Order: sequence, then C-alpha cells, then structure tokens
Amino acid sequence: MITPVLLAVLALALAGPVPALLARSDWPYRVPRAAVALWQAIALAAVLAALGAGIALSYSTAGQPGEPRFDPSSPRDLLAAAILAMTALVVLRLLWATGKVAVGTRARRKRHRDLVDVLATPDGLIPGLRVLAEETPLAYCLPALRGHRVVVSVGALDRLDDTELKAVLAHEQAHLRARHDLVLEAFTALHAAFPRWVRSEVALEQARTLVELLADDDARRRSGPRPLARALVALAGSPAPEAGLAAAKSSTVLRVQRLADPEPGNTALAAGTYTAAALLLVLPTFTVAAPIVKAIVNAVS
Amino acid sequence: MEQLWAAPDALTVRAVYEQVSTTRDLAYTTVMTVLDRLAKKKLTERERDGKAWRYRAAAPREEMAADLMRDALDRAGDRREALVRFVDQVSDEEAALLREALARLEEREG
Repeated sequence: MITPVLLAVLALALAGPVPALLARSDWPYRVPRAAVALWQAIALAAVLAALGAGIALSYSTAGQPGEPRFDPSSPRDLLAAAILAMTALVVLRLLWATGKVAVGTRARRKRHRDLVDVLATPDGLIPGLRVLAEETPLAYCLPALRGHRVVVSVGALDRLDDTELKAVLAHEQAHLRARHDLVLEAFTALHAAFPRWVRSEVALEQARTLVELLADDDARRRSGPRPLARALVALAGSPAPEAGLAAAKSSTVLRVQRLADPEPGNTALAAGTYTAAALLLVLPTFTVAAPIVKAIVNAVS
Repeated sequence: MEQLWAAPDALTVRAVYEQVSTTRDLAYTTVMTVLDRLAKKKLTERERDGKAWRYRAAAPREEMAADLMRDALDRAGDRREALVRFVDQVSDEEAALLREALARLEEREG
C-alpha cells in the first residue's frame, strides 16, 4: 500500500510546488539546455508517477499476488478495476490532447504560411525569408519539417541595421534548426490535457523563456551579444498600440540583461541539472516497474 | 495573385496568363498550375464557365493581410503556438529596464 501513496505524493509535488520553486530560481537561466531537459523530466515524471500511482493502487486493492483471478462479485476487485479505468482515461486524455495540439498547430501554421506566401516577398538572404510590407515591427518564424519560413516586416527592417538583422535571423534559424517548437508543443499538449483548475502555466511559460535563451545563445555565438541586444531593444521597445500590453511580464528584460553579462557557461551546474533530470525519470519508473516485474516473476515461477 | 486582386471580376486562366506574360516570361501551364494550387489552399475561389475555370481572390488583399496580422500579433489563445516570435512588445517600464541593460552592455564592450 506504500507504493501508490509515495507515487501520488511524488506526482503532486512535481505538479505543484516543484515547478513553482524552480520557476522562481535564477540558476536555470544560466544553463538553458539542461534546464529544458529538467522541465521535460519533471513533466514526464509527474505523468508517470500519477499513472503509476493509479496502477499500483489498483494492484494493491485487487488482492494478493497468487490469486490473480478477477471476481466481479468482490467490491475490492470492482474498485481496483475502476481505479485502473480512471488511469486509462488519463492516458487517453493525454494522447487526445497531444493529437489535437499537433493537428491544430500544423493547420494554423500551414494557413499562415499560405498567406505569407501570397502577401510577402521572398528574400534570398537566408532560405525561407519573406519580407512583409507592414509598418508594425515583426520578426518570427514558422517552423516546419520542410518549407519553414522566417518572416520579417518592413517596419522591423527599418529599425535594424545589418548586423542587428543578422542577429535576428541567426536567432530564428536557431529555433528552426533545433525544432524548439516541438519542445513547446509537448508542454502545450500537457497543459491542454488537464482541466483548468489543476493545471498551471508555469512549465509552459518557463519552456518558452528557456528556448528563447537557447536561440539567443546561438545567435550570440554567431554575431556577438551587442547586435542581438540592440535588436531586442529596437523591436521590443517600439510602440505597438494594437497589442495587448502588460498581459504578462515578458522575458525580454531577462534576455537583454543576460546578454549584458559575460556569457554563462557552468559545466558543473549543467551536469547537476542533467543528473537531477535523469534521476527524476528513473525513480518513478522503477517504483512502478518493480512490483509489476516481481508479480510476473512470481506468477511464472 | 496581384492580377486577381486587381480585377473586378473572376478571370480565366487565359486572361491571367495574358496579363502576367507582359512582364514575366511564364508558360501558360505554369499559370494554370499556380492558380489551381491557390484554389486548393482556399486563397482563390473558382467557378466553371463553359470549358474554362474562372478564378477570383477568396478575399481582398487587405482582408488577408489583416488575417495574417491577427495571427502574428496574437499573444494569447491557441494561435500563439503557431509561430515563434523573435520578441514581444514590452511596457514602458520594461523598455526603460531594457535600455539600461543595453547601456551596460555597450559600456562593457567599449
């Protein structure tokens, strides 16, 4: 009976207090790549622990190993079956949300790309670059396996000099190369899978910030911190009356302040973060797998 | 696409080809393929006119541009994940912090 309780506690901790605590810390920003891995591990471990708690609970309710027969007249077995069904429902919901986000995002992206292709002019500076005749400063990318686009508006070009533009493009290309959108998609799906009252924005928000930092680091290595910082300030600081400002505290200040500091690089911290991520995944997996393996071994021998 | 936006009525492939070929060296079949592809993407609408198709833009240029901008500027809701923005606009308060950090960087770099 102790396994399901432990797993449930782990799942709850990973769903609430741990992300909240991690989001308030500054050190993950120094090792963005490891921090992304850690967030992924936390999310995956939370799901595994929650599912494991369900399986383990149903297993320990159903009775002793050695009497594996399901007895519909026993309330204990019925309860166990109900718990198992609930667990399966959670799995289905996760799969459903993942599919829905994947299909929806791709459809919207494709529609947007079609619009970009008829409205914007191609530019040969980098592959997939399109220039949009709009005064609002815009720079973004449309990730895709094939036929990605980087869109820059005339308003943005007016505000950037050559080196700054190169830094912006390097940033976007880093997103496209590393398929950061897939990282975000997974967190979006997880976020969408849970009902409003239990989910939190924290993991998704942190993932968004961290992939921006990763792309910033890449662009910084290519063109130095100064053009990138200038480009960020030029594009973020320009007034955009139509945008709903102050909706969320942006990560932009963090990004520019980070560029102003010497390049971070902390191997020990990164290694520690990766280790924590690995442990998080190994622990619940083993706790779930151990009793099942034991039961199978018992049943066979 | 420009020709279709400019025309008041739906155009046949032949009409579009004749207009386009005054400035660009394109084959008739190329124009036909492009128009067909645009129709599949629902950017143009087409109707039968005897043996030929007549094409028109699905919406005025301004409307499509507005549609695109809605996507590009949306920062909440489910359009958000479709594109990855370089940077979002910030408040005045944050803009001041930004300039401060930039000044620090410029100073350090000399």
